Amino acid sequence: MSRATKLHKTSWCALRQFQQYRTKANFSPSIASRNELFAQEQLRQRDAVGRIDKIEVRYLGLPEDVTLVMNNHISTPFNCAQHLSEGHCRRSALALIDGSFPWDMHRPLQESCTLQLLNFNVSEPHVVNKAFWRTCSFMLGAALTRAFKTEANLQLHSFPGPNIKSGSFIHDIVLETQNWQPSKSEMRAISAEMIRLAAQDLRIERLDVQLEIAQEIFKDSKYKSEQLPSIAQQNNGRVSLYRLGDHIDISRGPMVASTHFLGKCTVSAAHKLADEGSAGAFYRIQGVALPCGFKLSHVAYGLLEERSQKLNPARLPHEPFEEQQQFQLS
Amino acid sequence: MNQADVTKLISQLRIAVRPNQRNLKNPDGPEGRLLKLRKTVTALMKHERIELYYNRADEARGYAELLISNAIRHGDRHKATMELADYWLLEKQLVHKLFKVLVPRYENYNVSYTRMYKAPRDYPGMYYRQSVLELRGNPYPSLLMDQSQNRNLLHNVLLDEARKEFRRKKLADLVN
Repeated sequence: MSRATKLHKTSWCALRQFQQYRTKANFSPSIASRNELFAQEQLRQRDAVGRIDKIEVRYLGLPEDVTLVMNNHISTPFNCAQHLSEGHCRRSALALIDGSFPWDMHRPLQESCTLQLLNFNVSEPHVVNKAFWRTCSFMLGAALTRAFKTEANLQLHSFPGPNIKSGSFIHDIVLETQNWQPSKSEMRAISAEMIRLAAQDLRIERLDVQLEIAQEIFKDSKYKSEQLPSIAQQNNGRVSLYRLGDHIDISRGPMVASTHFLGKCTVSAAHKLADEGSAGAFYRIQGVALPCGFKLSHVAYGLLEERSQKLNPARLPHEPFEEQQQFQLS
Repeated sequence: MNQADVTKLISQLRIAVRPNQRNLKNPDGPEGRLLKLRKTVTALMKHERIELYYNRADEARGYAELLISNAIRHGDRHKATMELADYWLLEKQLVHKLFKVLVPRYENYNVSYTRMYKAPRDYPGMYYRQSVLELRGNPYPSLLMDQSQNRNLLHNVLLDEARKEFRRKKLADLVN
């Protein structure tokens, strides 16, 4: 096949995907308006930077330590990685600022600092693992939104902080049915949706917004609107939002740079937690995943899958919170 | 049927071989191609790990596998195998290495004898894909990262927790 044909094919595929995305965005007006608000706020924050200041970013790591001069409030760790090599851009999942603060790859830097780029194979990968687990929960939300029809009346509730030792990442949802018993093929369909997200290699963007804007974005989501005030209260009136494709959710972050870091993934179980209202119910969707490039025999992975089916003991969504502190979403 | 089992007549390789050969562009035609491959096979036997263009490596790999496989099957008292080794190995001292070093090493293997990796290509440089071709069990350090030792890696954390939970369950069963 000639190169021209190949090029034509790839661009055609990209175009088709784009069209699909567009039709989907048009299909649900609430998602479209959410994205529009998000994009507007992103643009406003970018314009509010005004005069561009330079900062010095000291990069520590391979191939050598260098000092990069970057734009304050505009340049991200990803831009720094672009100065290093394509491999750095591709492999770095998370940045570490001043040797201690985890920072999203696509979040603009605020001041002069030192920068380390982390991947999943570093000797102390706790921070990256946690970010990965959180991203899996976030992606599960996106996958569920794509998988369910509108008749199911799916509402995402929240996802508690990542706990890898529990063996599963989770997302709590509310469905318009009280006796949903998902079959194996249904769970597999949701897993496939996760894999599809990973294959699309979508960037995960972060945006810190004021409470009012967050409330405007989530005005048609009952549960999110309820959670927003107390989240903002703990965070000086600001809420951090994350976007993946057209899916937007609240999260404290940090998350990994892109969806392509998801390798093997299984959405293994859905547990009913409690009834909600007259017709709905809370469900906890659980799964297990590995970063891409990690190889595990199917026997060992089968053990992990089996363990991830047990109900995760994390905080339940319908229980009242004794301490406000605990209400901080992951 | 007193027909010979065809599959037993030639060595079955443990790698995927392309149905059609690559011509490996050469002014001398097929002979030039074979000379190229003989040089590669010789270098592989000599150095045990070489870096070269993907196409040439993939093409030479099948011949190297076949050579080792035949050497293991027939031993050094077999005329045809000796001729084969004589043909593929341009440096004749490597014939001794083949039968005295490589055959004992690979006798009990149940995987392929060679291993191939994709390697990054120089930028800017030739467009051709690069690869690394090596004999298994070579004395060099591994090219792949060891992901089993660091217990903090994600899959190891998950496996360790699964193991702990299993032990706790066993202990609880013992007590009851």
